[in-house]
Amino acid sequence: MKFSRRDLLMWGAGAAAGLMVTPVPWKILDDTSKWSQNWPWIPQAARVPVEFKQSACTLCPNGCGLRVRMAAGWPVGVAGANTHPISRGALCPLAFGAHQLNWHPKRLRAVSRRGIASSWNEAQGAFAKARGEGPIVVIDGYPGRAASSLLESFAAKQGGSYRVVNGPEVQALEPYEQWTGVPASSLGYDLENTQTILSFGAPLLDGWGMPGRFTRLWAERAAGITDPQLRLIQVDSSLSRTASRAWQWISIREGSESALASGLARAFVEQKLVPAHGPIPAMTLAEAAGQTGLQAQEIADLARTLIERTPAVVIARENNPAVAALNIVLGSVGTRGGIVRRSQSKQGHVSAEDAIQSARAVLIDASVPWDFTPKVDAEVFRFAAWDGGPTKADWLLPAPGFLEELTDVPSAPTASVETYGIAQKLAKPSAEVQSAAQFLARLDSSLDSLEKIIQTRCQQLFRKGAGTLHAREQSPVAQLASAEELEEQLRNGAVWVGEPSRADGLRAELKLWPDAGPSTRSADWASDWAAPVLPPLASKLYIESALRQVPERRNA
Amino acid sequence: MSAARYGMVIDLDRCTGCGSCMVACASENNIPALPQATARTGLTPMLVRRVSNSKQGSERREAFFPIMCMHCEHETPCVKVCPQQAVEVDKATGVVMQMPQRCLGCRYCMTACPYHARYFNWWDPSWPAGMEKSLNPGVSSRMRGVVEKCNLCHARLHSAMEKAAAGKREIDAADYIPACVEACPTGAIQFGNLADANDPVTKESKSPESFRLLARLGTEPKVYYKSKEAWVRALAEPNAAPASEVQHG
Amino acid sequence: MRRGLLIFAFGMAASLFAGWYVFPRVLYVKKAQPLDFLHKTHAENSGVADCSECHTVRDDGTFAGLPTMEKCASCHSDRNGESKAETILVNDYIKPGHETPWLVYSRQPANVWFSHAIHVKRAKLSCSKCHSTYGESDQIRLYEVNRISGYSRDIWGHSILRLGRAPHEGMKMTDCEGCHRTHNVEVGCLGCHQ
Repeated sequence: MKFSRRDLLMWGAGAAAGLMVTPVPWKILDDTSKWSQNWPWIPQAARVPVEFKQSACTLCPNGCGLRVRMAAGWPVGVAGANTHPISRGALCPLAFGAHQLNWHPKRLRAVSRRGIASSWNEAQGAFAKARGEGPIVVIDGYPGRAASSLLESFAAKQGGSYRVVNGPEVQALEPYEQWTGVPASSLGYDLENTQTILSFGAPLLDGWGMPGRFTRLWAERAAGITDPQLRLIQVDSSLSRTASRAWQWISIREGSESALASGLARAFVEQKLVPAHGPIPAMTLAEAAGQTGLQAQEIADLARTLIERTPAVVIARENNPAVAALNIVLGSVGTRGGIVRRSQSKQGHVSAEDAIQSARAVLIDASVPWDFTPKVDAEVFRFAAWDGGPTKADWLLPAPGFLEELTDVPSAPTASVETYGIAQKLAKPSAEVQSAAQFLARLDSSLDSLEKIIQTRCQQLFRKGAGTLHAREQSPVAQLASAEELEEQLRNGAVWVGEPSRADGLRAELKLWPDAGPSTRSADWASDWAAPVLPPLASKLYIESALRQVPERRNA
Repeated sequence: MSAARYGMVIDLDRCTGCGSCMVACASENNIPALPQATARTGLTPMLVRRVSNSKQGSERREAFFPIMCMHCEHETPCVKVCPQQAVEVDKATGVVMQMPQRCLGCRYCMTACPYHARYFNWWDPSWPAGMEKSLNPGVSSRMRGVVEKCNLCHARLHSAMEKAAAGKREIDAADYIPACVEACPTGAIQFGNLADANDPVTKESKSPESFRLLARLGTEPKVYYKSKEAWVRALAEPNAAPASEVQHG
Repeated sequence: MRRGLLIFAFGMAASLFAGWYVFPRVLYVKKAQPLDFLHKTHAENSGVADCSECHTVRDDGTFAGLPTMEKCASCHSDRNGESKAETILVNDYIKPGHETPWLVYSRQPANVWFSHAIHVKRAKLSCSKCHSTYGESDQIRLYEVNRISGYSRDIWGHSILRLGRAPHEGMKMTDCEGCHRTHNVEVGCLGCHQ
C-alpha cells in the first residue's frame, strides 16, 4: 500500500502528540532560556578573589594615594587611600576610571618614526648617534622623581641641558622666586592654617592641587556653614564650580585680574588697612573699578573683608605677578597661613619655555603635556603612553602607562609639608614599553638605576630621622628599625611626611609694583590632566550627561 | 540580623558637581563607555544634574543634585508596574532590587519612576580589546534590552555579608560603603541605616534642612538631600524651576 | 480508520522513543577532565584530612573554590609518584605555570552569587549535603555538558525527569528555593544574584 499524504499527516500528528509527553520541548525551553541569558560575546568578569593594594596616581604631579582593587593580577577598581595624610582618600573624577586607560584605543604600543613603524633598537641607535653629534635637551614634566634625577644626571654628563615643564600651580608661585630667592618648586601654601582665601580663578574645589587636600578642608570648615572658619572668596568671570560653592563670588570682567589686584593693593594702602611697606600700584581705585566692572566701593569692601579674618592668602590661577604681589602687601609671605617654604632645597630648574640655544636632539619624558613643542629645531624623541594626535615629534616611543612602572612620588607642588611615597607597579605592561629614564639608563650604564636612586633616597630619609610615616598607624621615622623597613612600608603605600614648615626664614622684597600680568585663561577642567587621553568612563561626565563641557584636549 | 533600611543624606552645600561619584559608579558596576551613547541613551545609574536659581549675572547661583534610585519604600512605583516581577523591595535591606536577568525590557518602570533614575541598555556592553581584564568581579554584565538602575552597590554588600559570616558576626558598617559614597571628595554623600536611630544619617535626615524630592508623591524615598539654601530646598517640588536638561527616554 | 490509527501510533512511538531514549543521550556531551584527580588518594595517603584544606573559606569570607595550581604545586612541584595524572599535572601545568582548566560540575551563570561562607559558617551545612561524598571518591566523575545551555549535567540532574537525585545533583534556582523554603530563610533576589 502506498504511503499517502494522509498517512504522513497521521504520522505527524502522532509524533507531535507523543512529543508533548516527552521531555524534549520542556527541556529545550528551559535550556534555551539559559543559553539566551548567557550570550558568549558579552564579557563577564572572571570569578576570582579580590585583594587591595596601595600605590599612588602618577597622572599629574600631585601623586594622590590610591587604594587599588586587584583581581587576577589586574587593577579592577580605584579608590582613594584614606591613609594618605594630604589627599585623605579623595581623588579627581578621572582617577576612578584610570585603571582602564592602559587599554585605551589610543594606547601607543610600538615605536614609530614619523608615522612608520620602527623598533627600540633603531631608536636607541638614532639617539646614541645624536648624543655623539651635539647637545641633548631633556624635558621633564614631573620634576623631583627618581627618574627626574636620572634624566638630569644624563643631561649634565652629556653637556646638554635639563628643563622642566611646570603646571599652572607652580607657575603661579614663580613671581616669588624673584622676590624671595627661593625656587617656586620649594614653596607652598599653608592652607591648613589660613582663614581667608582670595582665589583669582584658581579652581580650588575642582582639581587644583591635590584634589582631596582642599576639598576635605573646605568641607570640614566651610561647606554649608553660614559664618565659616575658612572663607573662600572666588574671583571668576563666570560662575565656575568653585565660585558657586564659595563664601563669596566676585564677578569681574574676563582678563581683569591684575586690575583687581592692583585696585585691592591701592585700597589696602589708602585705607591704611595694612602697615605700609613696599611699592604701591600706579592704578587708582577708580581705574581698577572701570576695568573690572566692579564699583570702587566694592573693591574697598573686599579689601576690608580680606583682613577681617587673618591669616589671609591670595592664590592665582597661573603666573600673574600683580596677583602674587598682593600676598606681600597682606604680609602673607613667610607667615603662618600664607606662602611658606616647604623645602630647604635651593635648586630651581630652568623652564622648558625658556629659549634653548641649540640642540642636536630633544628627549621629552612621558610626563610632559602632549601639546608641548620645543622651540628649537632638533630631532625630537617623544615618550608617551597614549597617542595625543598630530605631533611634530620625530620619534614616538611607547612609555609605561597607569601603574605599569615602579616610580617614586615627590612632594605635591602646592603642599606646605614635604612628602615622599613610592608608587608600586601594579599592572603588567600590555605593550613593549620603556620609560625615558630606562632608555637613558640603557645607554649610559654609569648612571644609577631607578631602584638604586629610590633606595638611596630612603636611606637619606632614614638617616635624617625626621618626619612621620603614615600608614594604618603613624610611626615617627626615628622609631623605625632600618632604611629597608622604611622603603618596604613606602612600597606598600605608606607616605612619609616631613616636619611642618617653619613660617620664618622666608622674606619677600618687592621693589616695584609689577606690570599687569597676562589675563587668566579660563581653565578647561581636564587641562591639567597629564595624559593626552581621558579615561573612557570619564565620557559619562560630558557625553552621557550634561554635567561638564567637552574638554578641549580630549582625544577620542 | 534585624532588617536594615539603607538610605542616604546628600549634603548639597558640599556637592561641587565634580562627577567623581558618576565615574566610580560606572567603574564599580562594569558599565561600558560606548562611543555611540548620548545624554538620552547613556547609562548613568548615578547622574549629577546642575540646577540654578534661574537668575543671571552676579545674582546667579548654581547647585548640583546627584540623582540615583531613591529606593522608595511605599507603593514603590517601579515595583507596582513591572509585569515580570523583575524588581522588588528587599525586606532585609530596604534596597529596591533590580533584576536585569528577569527584565524583558518593556520600560514601563522607566515611565513610572518619578525620578527618571532608570536607564535602558540600548546596546550590548563591549570594551576595547583587553579592557575586560579591568572588569569588577562580583558584578555581572547585563545584555542589551534590559533596564538598569542603582542597586546600592550590592556586590559590596555581598562582600560585607561574607566577611561577617566568616567572622561569625554582624555586618560591619565600614565594610559596606557604596562606590559613590567612597568616591565623594567632600563627603557630601553619607550612607547609613535609617532603621538605626543612632546612625548619624538617620539624625541628619531629620534635620530641618533635609528634604526629599517629590515628597508629596508619597513614595517615601530613602535618599534625602540637605541644604541651608532655601532656593535649593524649593527645587524639591516641580513647578519650582523649568526643566533645563534632557530627560532620559 | 484502523490504518490511520496504526500510523498515528507508529508516529507516537517514534516520538516517544526519540524523546525518552535518544534525546537524553544526545543532549549531553561527555568531556574529559584535564587529568584524573582522585580525592581518595589525597585524603588517605597525603594527610589531607578535611575538605577545607584545599577548598577553603578565607578569612574575608571568599571561597577558594577549586584550588589554584599554586596549591597543587605546594606538594607537587615535582612528581611524587608514577601515575599518569601526576605526570600531566607537573609537565603540562605546574612547570609551565598554567592553571589547570578543570571542568566545574557546579558552575553557575555569571549572575549567580552563592556564598560558601554563609552556608558553611553560618548555616553550618556540611560539604556533602550539596556535593555528595566527593571527598571519598576513588575515581574521577564523568563530566557531561548540556549542548544547549552549556552547563554541567549536575545542574539539572542525571535523570531527565529529575527523579532520584543524588546530593550533588540539582543546582537549579528552584532547588535553592526549595531548601530555603524548608528552612524558612527568606532572601531577596539580590541575595543570590549579582
